[in-house]
Amino acid sequence: MRNLINLIVKNIHWLLFILLLFVSGYLIISNNNFQRSKYLTVEQELVGSVYSVSNRITSYVGLKSANDQLIRRLAELEVRNEYLENYIKDLSDPSEFSSIQEDFDTLSPRLVYARVINNSISGSENLITLNKGSNDGIEPDMGVFSPEGVVGIIMSASPHFSVVVPILNSKSNLSCKVRRSNYPGSLKWDGEDSQYAYLEELPRHVIYALGDTIVTSGFSSVFPEGIRVGTVVDSKKQRDDNYVSLKLKLFTNFSALSDVLVVKKTLQEEREGLEDEARDRILKGERYDGN
Amino acid sequence: MAINWFRQILFFFVLVMLQVWIFNRIYILGVATPLFYIYFILKLPVNLNRNLTLILSFLMGFFIDMFDYTLGFHMLACSVAGFIRYSIFRLFLPKEMIEFNIPSIRDFGIGLFFKYVISIVLIHHAVFFVVESLSLFDHLRLLYSILGSSVVTLVLIFAAEGLTLSKSRK
Repeated sequence: MRNLINLIVKNIHWLLFILLLFVSGYLIISNNNFQRSKYLTVEQELVGSVYSVSNRITSYVGLKSANDQLIRRLAELEVRNEYLENYIKDLSDPSEFSSIQEDFDTLSPRLVYARVINNSISGSENLITLNKGSNDGIEPDMGVFSPEGVVGIIMSASPHFSVVVPILNSKSNLSCKVRRSNYPGSLKWDGEDSQYAYLEELPRHVIYALGDTIVTSGFSSVFPEGIRVGTVVDSKKQRDDNYVSLKLKLFTNFSALSDVLVVKKTLQEEREGLEDEARDRILKGERYDGN
Repeated sequence: MAINWFRQILFFFVLVMLQVWIFNRIYILGVATPLFYIYFILKLPVNLNRNLTLILSFLMGFFIDMFDYTLGFHMLACSVAGFIRYSIFRLFLPKEMIEFNIPSIRDFGIGLFFKYVISIVLIHHAVFFVVESLSLFDHLRLLYSILGSSVVTLVLIFAAEGLTLSKSRK
């Protein structure tokens, strides 16, 4: 008996090593986005505050290019504004006028401006941290876009910070369409180049041309329809020949992302989302019999 | 000589912050990211208790993981590195050198120190990138990542080592 105990004490480092391997292995395997978002909001607060210190310093470095981008965008919007104003003046029909007005009025109060405080593009499971959280009305499953194009979807939010799953994440999946022909497909990333992504599961007969713009489809309530995603640069047939996949050059420059907008949900969409979720759970066979 | 705990703790957090604020954002040619925090594990005293070495290595991995949102990957790689360290000493170090306190070029000599550092860095990086790439597998890219990152980490470690060397000569 004593020998056995001696043996164990002598080789305790082996036991410890195996224990540590199990702990980390378990964390890796069980580590999907859902669980992280549920249990680690406390950790997220801590990590977020450390990152915001470093961001306060580094944001000065990117200030110039962010400024340039804003000026470019401002010019773009001014042109558009002028065009729309002329268009409105030309319209004699007052009902058309009111529909445009309504669109603008419903979207703009739903936008929350946020700043990127941590961003990775190196791994296959990239995540982005923003400096706004549930105190500013940010909740999971809201869409995030930058002045250039689509960024991703909110995964979780703590009071002051939130984490985004960008389209540069192997688990991301976003419904998009070819602007010209309205055919929908799903946007995936292959983990290689942060400038390119793929629009998959498009039917073979879809009409497209290189250089076409891809925009969000608006099928889910996450994004409004028509936010820019990228341009088509290449296409290839998928395995079974019935589908094509398009290679896109993304509009968003993820390596220099600094300012983004989050789209808040309308009450109507919130209700629909809740109902969908409930329906899913019933379909999956969850029971509510009071036990 | 007893270990100066205060210095070790300070060293630990300085390395965590360097990794989080600087090195995690370096991404050379799309493959190489230096994992410089391993310098902490390399610089633990030679005769430190094996269990303590393991736990400290694991903690290092835990802190890096927390900031990287990659729960588990760095922990696993660090535990392996911390565990393998003793075997590497047994392999390369003559018996009479075991009493040396902290591994350094000055005490080990450049050849021995290089062998020691390169074997631990390679093993650590290999474990880390293999585990990390399990979700998106591509052999060639994996190989580039391991070798590229190891080279960058080695350069940084020897730069840091050289810095302390020139300081102690004065």
